Amino acid sequence: MGSLLDELGWKKFIGHEYPAHTGEPVLARDIRRYAYAIDDGNPLFVDEAAAKAGRHGGITAPLNYVSWAVGVPGAEKRSKDLGEDGLSSFVGVPDIPGAWSLGWVRGGEELEFFKPVYVNDRVTVRGHVTGMSEKVGKSGTLIFVTSEFTYTNQNDELLAKHIVTMIASPRKEQAQ
Amino acid sequence: MGSQVYFDDVSVGQEIPSLTKDVNTVNILMYVAAVWLMDRIHFDNPFAVKRRGLPDIVAPGNMAGDYYVQLLTDWAGDKGRLRKLALQFRNFMIPGNVLTCGGRITAKAVEDGKGRVDLELWIKNQDGVVCVPGKGVVELPIRAA
Repeated sequence: MGSLLDELGWKKFIGHEYPAHTGEPVLARDIRRYAYAIDDGNPLFVDEAAAKAGRHGGITAPLNYVSWAVGVPGAEKRSKDLGEDGLSSFVGVPDIPGAWSLGWVRGGEELEFFKPVYVNDRVTVRGHVTGMSEKVGKSGTLIFVTSEFTYTNQNDELLAKHIVTMIASPRKEQAQ
Repeated sequence: MGSQVYFDDVSVGQEIPSLTKDVNTVNILMYVAAVWLMDRIHFDNPFAVKRRGLPDIVAPGNMAGDYYVQLLTDWAGDKGRLRKLALQFRNFMIPGNVLTCGGRITAKAVEDGKGRVDLELWIKNQDGVVCVPGKGVVELPIRAA
């Protein structure tokens, strides 16, 4: 059995750097809608007066918002330009040849939080691929791609570190 | 935000108060719209089921991270904070699921004068299936001697 990783020629992309990307300023509205979507009633996310009086001195986002605060580079396209599955770019999927010939799911992630995201912050993400491996399971070959990211704000303060493991497998479905 | 929990008052083996979350099409839609996540498995049932073999549309895995952040941030209180979170995506969270997000303390130690508490975490659906197991590290305040 040949190695799918070898076939794809991906191993040389271990160490591959993702282009650094800086998001637009975070809006209070972005944070509020996010807090409502996850049904988190903490007033620090939505109530300006409570947030000012609270521990952070202003509206902050739920900690896990940090990756979304950057936006996913390449994900914002006109609808007609999106891939068939709607997904054209995702955190932890490197932009390397053949990446989207496979289907991707999240395997796991690790986050370390240092500071929250505030309204008006511009968050920058930097990252690189730290490892690739493959495993043959019941449903075929799975490729594990692990990447490490750091998020900083406009003052170059470290907000979070993020390790993401994505799992890729050959697409089974036929277009019809 | 409730009363403050202190490092001195927690013990290994103790469970923390759990959080319940409903998974439904509305909150999934709110989430994918809020973060601009256009993966069709999150909102297009025929695509998810027929093309991807999923049981239904599925909630973005990130939402599990948000539930853990809420669980641990609320528990840590104003004087504590969530430092680390690790998750594994094992089973999908789908509409109709009622999730229980919980945790149990596995270790505690004073590190650099701060109270560090390690927890094992789970998000279980109504059938008791663990969808997203996790681990967390929380810093809790120490009572003044």
